[in-house]
Amino acid sequence: MTRSEATTRIPRPPRTAVGVRGALGLVGTLTKYLSVATLFPTALAIGYGEPAWPFLGAGAIAALVGLGLERLGRDADPIGFREGFLVVAVTWLFAAALGAAPYLLSGEPQLDRPVDAYFEAMSGFTTTGASVLTDIGALDQSLLMWRQFTQWLGGMGIIVLALAVLPRLRVGGRQLLESEMPGPEVDDLADRIRSTARRLWLLYVALTAAQALILSIFGWTGIDDRMNVFNAVAHAFTTLPTGGFSPQPRSVEAFSAASQWVIVVFMVLAGMNFALLYRAFVRRRGRVVARDEEARLYLTILALMSVLLAVELWVEGFERGEAAFRDGTFQVVSMMTTTGYANTNFVVWPALALMILIGVMLVGGSAGSTGGAIKVVRHLLLGKILRRELRQTIHPEIVIPIRLNGTVVDERTLRAIAAFVLLYIGLFAAGAGLIALDAAFQGPHISAFDAIAASATTLGNVGPGLGIAGPMGSFAPFSDFSTIVMATLMWLGRLEVIPVVVLLSRSYWRV
Amino acid sequence: MKIFVIGAGQVGATVVEALHAEHNLTVIDLDPARLTPLAYRYDVATVEANGASRRALADAGVGSADLVIACTSRNEANLVAATFARIEAPRATTVIRTSNVEYIELWREGRLDVDFVVSSEIETAHAITRVIGVPAAVQTDVFADGQIQMVEYDVTDRSNPELVGKPLRECGRIPAQSRLASIIRRDSMTIPRGGDVILPGDRLVVVGSPQAAQAWGELLAPGGGKVEDVVVFGGGQVGVAIARQLLVQGIGVRLIEPDRERARRIAEELPDVRVYQATGLDPDFIERERIGQAQAAVFAMREDARNHYAATLARVHGIEFTIAIVHDAIAQEVYEHSGVDVTVNPRQVTAEEIVRFAHDPRTQQVAMIEGDRFEVLDITTSPTSEYVGLRFRDMPIRGAVIGAIVRDGNAIFPRSDDVLLAGDRVIVFTESSRVADVEKVL
Repeated sequence: MTRSEATTRIPRPPRTAVGVRGALGLVGTLTKYLSVATLFPTALAIGYGEPAWPFLGAGAIAALVGLGLERLGRDADPIGFREGFLVVAVTWLFAAALGAAPYLLSGEPQLDRPVDAYFEAMSGFTTTGASVLTDIGALDQSLLMWRQFTQWLGGMGIIVLALAVLPRLRVGGRQLLESEMPGPEVDDLADRIRSTARRLWLLYVALTAAQALILSIFGWTGIDDRMNVFNAVAHAFTTLPTGGFSPQPRSVEAFSAASQWVIVVFMVLAGMNFALLYRAFVRRRGRVVARDEEARLYLTILALMSVLLAVELWVEGFERGEAAFRDGTFQVVSMMTTTGYANTNFVVWPALALMILIGVMLVGGSAGSTGGAIKVVRHLLLGKILRRELRQTIHPEIVIPIRLNGTVVDERTLRAIAAFVLLYIGLFAAGAGLIALDAAFQGPHISAFDAIAASATTLGNVGPGLGIAGPMGSFAPFSDFSTIVMATLMWLGRLEVIPVVVLLSRSYWRV
Repeated sequence: MKIFVIGAGQVGATVVEALHAEHNLTVIDLDPARLTPLAYRYDVATVEANGASRRALADAGVGSADLVIACTSRNEANLVAATFARIEAPRATTVIRTSNVEYIELWREGRLDVDFVVSSEIETAHAITRVIGVPAAVQTDVFADGQIQMVEYDVTDRSNPELVGKPLRECGRIPAQSRLASIIRRDSMTIPRGGDVILPGDRLVVVGSPQAAQAWGELLAPGGGKVEDVVVFGGGQVGVAIARQLLVQGIGVRLIEPDRERARRIAEELPDVRVYQATGLDPDFIERERIGQAQAAVFAMREDARNHYAATLARVHGIEFTIAIVHDAIAQEVYEHSGVDVTVNPRQVTAEEIVRFAHDPRTQQVAMIEGDRFEVLDITTSPTSEYVGLRFRDMPIRGAVIGAIVRDGNAIFPRSDDVLLAGDRVIVFTESSRVADVEKVL
């Protein structure tokens, strides 16, 4: 055996295989940019003569933290696939913290406890729309608009997350969407995210502006005398991200039928794949929507469930004529796209109506939309997997590739989708169990249906639940423990569960 | 015509067999064991050399060739040989045999510098699809864009008695738009006249419209009808080509392929085919999947013996119509003795396709029947032909029958009063040895 002259040493193994510093550095950069967003409510506060310092203070803290983290990760190795999970998971936690800061600094009594403020901010950045506020009217205009704005910012993040980041991390069969991205084929993750973001954000901003303009015109022309520019912008801010916050105490109930229908149209758009919308609107290829299997199923479910709910409401005597039709459509669209607006207090509706609403909550929007929950495409493929299983029971040797829009979906993707749906259902059940358990010990008094709805609505990033947490109610009565559980569910649901669960596994941190 | 044949395998030998009588042939192959039998049997020159070498081709005298046929079993060698031949003999027509789909596509785009490309897989698939389209048929060829079919039928005991056992002139049910071109009885062939009789065991050659061909099929094998469910055993290149062709015809296909990856690939490529990953030799599988209820089965596996076994098994389970690919000429006899209805030899089909390039340039298409005993030609009459202007009933019979003519793009099935015009395309049936004479007089 020969040995070189130089002494060789086997290096010590690194403590972790994940570039934590680099990941935190990127989170710092994102937080730094996000802190700029506080300038919008600051300007608003000055305009309305309200205190502006809570926003400036929050912005300053976020900027400092961001800069600090950025410094920390300055010399770190460039981040890659592994670090992607960590960045995604931590970014939303930081964003929610930034969102909560103005609530706490303002001294608003409804949000002065950190748990409640964090819940409200998480609900904002995950575009959920669940609220612990009991008296919305008591908030300052600037604080209300900040609440709306957090959802709009969350929506921007989600578009990038859904169409550029999660497909790359192969989360729950998301790789399906990878090919749908508009823009050049670039291999660099950062480049890809940048080019996607630019194109789709433009569409997002344009749709938001369009909705705000239409609603404003309704206000000016007297079609809707309760609508004004503040409300038009506030609702446009929370429709496109399928958020569901409203500065109105009774959500959109007060607005005229015309405004409600306009909101329905924009909710339907917001629940569609943005890459598809981009091709339809910007590249003027409207037929892609009609040919897309997911879009077709999405629209079919919406139509069927809307009609079913409308008929149920009419038959049970809750509404008649256009109102039954409008309420049915509005509520199905709002729950399925996971927006969470209400145009009536639906908690008093009969059991079948509530079952429909909880059912569509679990369906969710299209993949590549700002909607949450399981997503239509996963249901579609799960259905195809089940149909294949049935056929293979009868014909054991038959070979059936599963196709989506004519393209074969590989088996690993299908497995990932099945695993995702199981994990989602498991978390949904666990969440409902924890909420029910906690309610049994610490109150409030809720029914099993309410616990199920609370879990589904937070995990699916919908917003309102049933019972006390209904659209006109509040999540305030829940204990701190339940509040934290639900905030965690929102976080998990928004990040499509897997990036967070992955962080909990040993194999993620080890080589 | 001076013809160079590169490759003396089964295709090459068949080509030589069909062309040696009328043409001046040179055969090139690396293997003397393949050349010697050809040299003994036929009057051809043989050169033991590498056909893919430019010098070897030049030394063999390819420069004076009119037609160069590269038909080895290696795609690349054929392409290289044809390319060199083009350099040495710029005026010669070049034909290559290939199974490579990319080459075929390139050739269609006009980017491959050869005149014709012949693919065993595609020709075999065509041959099988034609037979399945007319279930009672032993062999089918189409002419004039499908307006005319040449079909070979077997007469059996089940055939309609109105047609069998009495003089043709007394048979009332002979379909219009068709002509019975010949009756083959054991080794003798007759060109039928009014007094001839069709007997069970005969083989008939009919030229007619597709509808008439179907009607003949109904008469000779009642209860056939249209085929909707065909099982293809074996998902190799030939099997896939067959499945694809059948789909084009609107026929439902089930395909059985034992290899997992390959089965998956076929299922991805052909969404309308039901693919099973199985050997096809397992009786449980055959029973469970009701393979016996299929209307026809094609055996396109690589080994003749497996095809034979699978075909027999399928017959046991109730398949009535079986077609087998045969790779070895001897297997053909085995198949036919054990009840396989139709056998298709890819090499023969390929040779048949290649041979047509050696015909008179007026000949558009050639089909071979009964091995290469008979040929059906699609040929345009020249103005100087002695037959032009004659009524059909006045034409002397010289071992050839005109089954149909194509005039101004339309198929006509001539009656005895019709007159042949210059420029008509005629579909003529004749013995192979008379092909040169027929081409001369027309």
